[in-house]
Amino acid sequence: MKKNLIAGAVGALLAIGTGSALAAAPDWSKVQGKDITAFYPGVSPLEWIQKGTEHGGARALKKGETCADCHSDEAGDMGKKMASGQKIEPSPIPGKAAFIPVKVQAAHDGENLYIRFSWKQPAASGAAKMDDKNPVKIAFMLESGGKVELADQAGCWATCHTDSRTMPGADDAKTKYVKGGSVAEGKFYDLYQWRSGENKGYNGYVADKRVMEGGNALVSAEGKKDGDNWSVVFTRKLAAGDGDVKLESGKAYNFGFAIHDDNAAGRFHHVSLGYKLGLDTDGHIKAAKQ
Amino acid sequence: MSDQNSDNSKQENPGGLWARLRRPSGKSLGGLLAVGFMVGVLFWGGFNTALEATNTEKFCISCHEMYDNVYMEYKETIHYNNRTGVRATCPDCHVPKDWTHKMIRKVQASKELWGKMVGTIDTREKFEAKRLQLARNEWKRMKAADSRECRNCHSFESMNPEAQKQRARKQHEMAKEDNMTCIDCHKGIAHHKPEGMTDADEE
Repeated sequence: MKKNLIAGAVGALLAIGTGSALAAAPDWSKVQGKDITAFYPGVSPLEWIQKGTEHGGARALKKGETCADCHSDEAGDMGKKMASGQKIEPSPIPGKAAFIPVKVQAAHDGENLYIRFSWKQPAASGAAKMDDKNPVKIAFMLESGGKVELADQAGCWATCHTDSRTMPGADDAKTKYVKGGSVAEGKFYDLYQWRSGENKGYNGYVADKRVMEGGNALVSAEGKKDGDNWSVVFTRKLAAGDGDVKLESGKAYNFGFAIHDDNAAGRFHHVSLGYKLGLDTDGHIKAAKQ
Repeated sequence: MSDQNSDNSKQENPGGLWARLRRPSGKSLGGLLAVGFMVGVLFWGGFNTALEATNTEKFCISCHEMYDNVYMEYKETIHYNNRTGVRATCPDCHVPKDWTHKMIRKVQASKELWGKMVGTIDTREKFEAKRLQLARNEWKRMKAADSRECRNCHSFESMNPEAQKQRARKQHEMAKEDNMTCIDCHKGIAHHKPEGMTDADEE
């Protein structure tokens, strides 16, 4: 405890001294978290969720409802249907986890946003490794102002298409994208990812295509596994460069995240529905100033 | 010719049925009425009994077209098997309960006898090929009737949104706002959805 205090004090002094290079993460035990279920989504791209003959909620979506309005309580059950191949999954992976309960915490200090994801490692499926370098990857995306069509309602689904790679029959070179994507016009998702094997953070974006590098806001991404429990903390500047969403106090942003568990790649991930991250304002996840 | 001849024939055959019916009766009016009433009751009862015999699941699935296809699908659904032990059988959903609408539906359904005779859907392939059209006919009928047969058991008034799942609660709220009817959303709840549905089918 005493050591922590000293370390904290030194850290704070350094932070003041260097003007931010060493960001001071908050005391996570004091930051309220939001429990969000990341579920296995099968083949449910943006085109599918809007198709009334396939998705009963297409009408609700047209009326302006969000995915979470209808599905947040049943995300785990949906994951079960898809992971088992009962619904919209043509190639189910035996033993694949249906869903992962994740705790999401966020805070800021006027300069940086700190966001922490923690979850329990699900049992491995034993299936062939799609990404043999990285047992686990976690990514989150931010969108500002609903400039991307359906971003306010559908979270990351606005980037997920039927012709994106690993979708059935899709070209392997085609990445995620958003309709009319343009960084210059603000029509993009700001993307952050941490990869366990490489132990490296990425800061890219999804506009007319997805790039993993090209953002400028990421300060650090650190993950660790304690027993079966993962925790990953991203630190990013509130200020933004090209390809970043600028974060301001009093505003809420579209937010979603995904975990590639079990050496997964492409669409074989677990995803959250679309939520709001509020900075000092209401949101499903609230990042208060520390 | 005919008048003369028919008069003659009546005279030649005074006991004919037609003549007897035309002749004033020697019986009392009360007796006639009583007999007429009894015969009417028997006839009406017989008619309704026959009609109701066609209004049972047993009758519906006596045709292999129904038994092999839609009945098998229905058996997998909550309208067949559920925790409360209530079952909705074929006519509960597909034949109106009130007499007028029931008679209209029965007359329409007589066309299906012709289909049975000529074998319109007598194989799985033929049935699947025609399934969308048949389903659309039934959806149209249900929508025109404001899902009357659904509403024999279900109503917005008797729903407890609190007891519903989040998704159902939301959808029903919207349905009320937009004055929608059950079949607008609940297609394919008792049978498989047909292939080839279009967005117009879901509007």
